[in-house]
Amino acid sequence: MELKMVMNSSGLWIASSIMILVILVQSILFLREAFKTAEKLNMPRERCYAGMRSAMITSIGPAFAPVIILLALIAVLGAPTAWMRLSDIGAARTELAMVTLSSKVIGVDPQSAAFNLKAFAYSLWGMALNNLGWMLVALLFTPKMTGMVSKLNQKYDPKWMKYLMAGATVGLFAFLLSGQLIGAKSANWYAAVISAAVMFGISKIFKNQQKLQELSLGIAMLAGMMLATAIS
Amino acid sequence: MNDKLDFNARLIRIGTVTLIAGIIANFVPVLYLWLAHGAIPPIQDILKIWTVALVTFGVSWVVQPLTFFSMLGLSGSYIGWLAGSVADLRCPAVTMAQKVTGYEPGTPEGDVISTIGITGTVFVSLTMMAVFTVIGANIINILPVFIKKSFAVILPAVFGAVYVELASKHLKLGAATIVTGLVMAFLAPQLGVPGWVLNIAIIGAGILIARILYKSEAKGSGTNA
Repeated sequence: MELKMVMNSSGLWIASSIMILVILVQSILFLREAFKTAEKLNMPRERCYAGMRSAMITSIGPAFAPVIILLALIAVLGAPTAWMRLSDIGAARTELAMVTLSSKVIGVDPQSAAFNLKAFAYSLWGMALNNLGWMLVALLFTPKMTGMVSKLNQKYDPKWMKYLMAGATVGLFAFLLSGQLIGAKSANWYAAVISAAVMFGISKIFKNQQKLQELSLGIAMLAGMMLATAIS
Repeated sequence: MNDKLDFNARLIRIGTVTLIAGIIANFVPVLYLWLAHGAIPPIQDILKIWTVALVTFGVSWVVQPLTFFSMLGLSGSYIGWLAGSVADLRCPAVTMAQKVTGYEPGTPEGDVISTIGITGTVFVSLTMMAVFTVIGANIINILPVFIKKSFAVILPAVFGAVYVELASKHLKLGAATIVTGLVMAFLAPQLGVPGWVLNIAIIGAGILIARILYKSEAKGSGTNA
């Protein structure tokens, strides 16, 4: 059978869709639990929906970003694999890197004519083994982290714990942001500064416009991307 | 308190079962390729591939789930490390869900709203990927070049806005940490410091600055009392 036909076979579509199904079911289960708890904590439904709506709107831009790599992956590995691997753990660039690295194990370049069924199998193994890493660590450490945080909360001043968590989160995003800025083109700096300024402006000036607040990160992001592209 | 422990135990159970299911689903395509087409690398090559993955991404496997925990929380960690896109998509969404509802991170309400938010984003990203897998290349062809170009800077734009939102709750902490972070990120390559060490070091700097602020605030309120 020709490789392209294997890559897009109904068998592989079904095999790849199981992961999508697991992700979907997991989110439905956690969502149900969260709404049950919200009721117990007397959190108003309308407020929960507002939070959910805002999170969903915010995610549209970042969810669209990997589409270009999706198309590249469809061309190299077929639609089912590209669909599965960009819907699960492993950033788009990470998946692309693993495809290249693992087919290189048998000395084949993914975009060459030499990319055959064997190289395809190597690529699939590469992505599976790489994604396993995050899932395994999360599986083993999440309960431990949860236990550790509640123990720390009992042992230390809750106010310090709040500071500690804030410091860790701010530090993490300082790392992510500076990674996008140091040694990068001026367009990156424009995008970050403009988007940060717009976010700050909407938060402060339109404080009481609830609907606008829900859209604020989406607006800030688009403004940063578009203006930075326009002026650089 | 007991209520909360029971609740956590329930979430851990859901997370454990679904993540194990995810790990199995992760290997279904390679098993299919083996059973249906007889294509499987020899075991020593599988080990070789795994070693390549370990060397390239092994540090991320460990560092990321640990460092993102303060933001994702319990349910969010299980969802985030199965569905991916944690830094660029799930975390901004959590920030926004907490911002518009006013529920603070680290509180039970904050955890609930961030879980609701994250699951919402999973529905968005799954739909998006499914739609674009089906319609494929056509969409990219009709997009203006300007829009395509602007996606090259989506990450600095997202991180810039998220950072301001996180920092707005702790202005001094935010300002001091980003300045320290930029200086450290500038110096690191010159000193030959690898990326993952820098990652931990900047988080450490954030915690240290938080500690200093906490101490000075405690002192300040002490003299007032």
